[in-house]
Amino acid sequence: MYLFRLALASLANRRFTALLTAFAIALSVCLLLAVERVRTEARASFASTISGTDLIVGARSGSVNLLLYSVFRIGNATNNIRWDSFEHFANNPKVKWAIPMSLGDSHRGYRVMGTNENYFEHYQYGHKQNLKLDSGRAFATDPFEVVLGAEVAEALHYKLGDKLVLAHGVAAISLVKHDDKPFTVVGILKRTGTPVDRTLHISLGGMEAIHIDWHNGVPAHGAGRVSADQARNMDLTPQAITAFMLGLNSKISTFALQREINEFRGEPMMAILPGVALQELWSLMSTAEKALFVVSLFVVLTGLIGMLTAILTSLNERRREMAILRSVGARPWHIATLLIFEALALALAGVIAGVGLLYVCIAIAQGYVQSNYGLYLPLAWPSEYEWTLLGGILAAALLMGCVPAWRAYRQSLADGLSIRL
Amino acid sequence: MTQALIELSDLSFSWPGHPVLLDIPAFRLEPGETLFLKGPSGSGKTTLLGLLGGVQKADLGTIRLLGQELSELGSGARDRFRVDHTGYIFQQFNLLPFLSVRENVELPCHFSKLRASRAVQRHGSVDNAAQTLLAHLGLKDPALLERRADSLSIGQQQRVAAARALIGQPELVIADEPTSALDADAREAFIQLLFAECREAGASLLFVSHDQSLAPLFDRNLSLSELNRAATQVEV
Repeated sequence: MYLFRLALASLANRRFTALLTAFAIALSVCLLLAVERVRTEARASFASTISGTDLIVGARSGSVNLLLYSVFRIGNATNNIRWDSFEHFANNPKVKWAIPMSLGDSHRGYRVMGTNENYFEHYQYGHKQNLKLDSGRAFATDPFEVVLGAEVAEALHYKLGDKLVLAHGVAAISLVKHDDKPFTVVGILKRTGTPVDRTLHISLGGMEAIHIDWHNGVPAHGAGRVSADQARNMDLTPQAITAFMLGLNSKISTFALQREINEFRGEPMMAILPGVALQELWSLMSTAEKALFVVSLFVVLTGLIGMLTAILTSLNERRREMAILRSVGARPWHIATLLIFEALALALAGVIAGVGLLYVCIAIAQGYVQSNYGLYLPLAWPSEYEWTLLGGILAAALLMGCVPAWRAYRQSLADGLSIRL
Repeated sequence: MTQALIELSDLSFSWPGHPVLLDIPAFRLEPGETLFLKGPSGSGKTTLLGLLGGVQKADLGTIRLLGQELSELGSGARDRFRVDHTGYIFQQFNLLPFLSVRENVELPCHFSKLRASRAVQRHGSVDNAAQTLLAHLGLKDPALLERRADSLSIGQQQRVAAARALIGQPELVIADEPTSALDADAREAFIQLLFAECREAGASLLFVSHDQSLAPLFDRNLSLSELNRAATQVEV
């Protein structure tokens, strides 16, 4: 190991370039690991956007489409389903709970969802976590109450007691507003890191109330109008909803119930298993995720090529060092080994510093990322896969170290014991 | 006749694509002898030292070191043979600047088991050997030992290089213009120290220089141009 010590001493003598080189490798290693960790966590967090729900039911369309509008609040339903269809399945003996969902309105770009108290009781995300209120309460019997997702409240600076007006349709700028029936903020949910944060929740009754005097998609005029107070006294049971979620008494009955829903004679409906649909959706996004990974691999390669360049450039100015070593008995393979050790030492320093940097970054950004993106980045020991990546980087560095080693080998054979000054 | 330390016969060497540079019919260096070999720059002396070190191979003729024909050894064995039996001192910048004085002196012992074991045999440990040699060469201050080699003056550095050439008692010390960076007074003092140490270690000294003024101090002096029949040629 005397050669390794010599390599370290020689590197220490060129510590500025050596540090820069190791730093470049460290940055690239940190990036690679960060991408890898975010990737893993994003996948996990994506999969945990919704949990505990056995079936999502909507009008017949595509499973990804249904998942997108019911869970991610992206896109629109092609059709509604009748309230009695919902009731039919909500009362099915296999069903433990049912959450109706009525979508289609918005407030300043955020989606509004009409639902009932089951939502706060049974909807789960992550590792079977229920929704929690940060302040206030869930909506009660008055139809004009709204519970905000954390992001909505934060971005639009709403507090409990504030009044807001919903807009018809889901465009960011809507020309038609339900301004005759303002809603009062009665509750604000805790952050979940899921689309729930970007949703305004009202009761199905509220949803019905704001549309009660609408006909054919336009509000009534003059005498046809129904005021908020009048609406309160009317029957606000909805005619139709957009979708519903089901929790079953036993997982075993999932497929049977799914088939039953798909074959329902009342109207065309479709039931999907959220996990399967999530998988399908993720596979659509995995190309981007893979591209990101490949890019970070190339960044590592760039770091290593930087190291190669630094060592190769140093070779010429170090011919004297090599000649002195030869004159005290180092054989050409000693010189070659010295350079391989040098590459290895730089890469090792880079890898260690990179992992350190990653932990520092995670420690700093953990809270922010968790609350803003719902990604929990663990300060965990590298996973088996990450170890493989790190080992791969070292192996690549070793391989690259062979290039200057070979050149130094040739050079020291040619130069012999002394080089001309 | 006793066995010569170095024996060259009918040696001929040329760099590929160049005219013959060295053509030496016969040359001997006896054990314990100090020899001054005069050679102006460009006379092929560096090449001759390369041949003696086994770094280059002769085209024709034989080179024997301690009776061992160098061309009979493989390149690895030649390297090992060289470090076991030869210590080198060069012009200047002889030392690895990033190592301490002590580590520089001990370098050959890391590459030659023979020299390490001789150093241990004689001085108890490699560290002791280095310290004793440096003290003999006028570098007594123990604090100096742990200083970086490039923090020393040129004169001190050359004495460190001498200690390194002598550690583990090689039979031959080859000095290539070791005094060219020193002033006149320091030069003679350095050579006297070198003589004393070579004598104590029983080593022969092959001293190559263009500085004729040092020649009288040696047992014998020779000019490479007399030795070399190809001397009129121009070096590469």
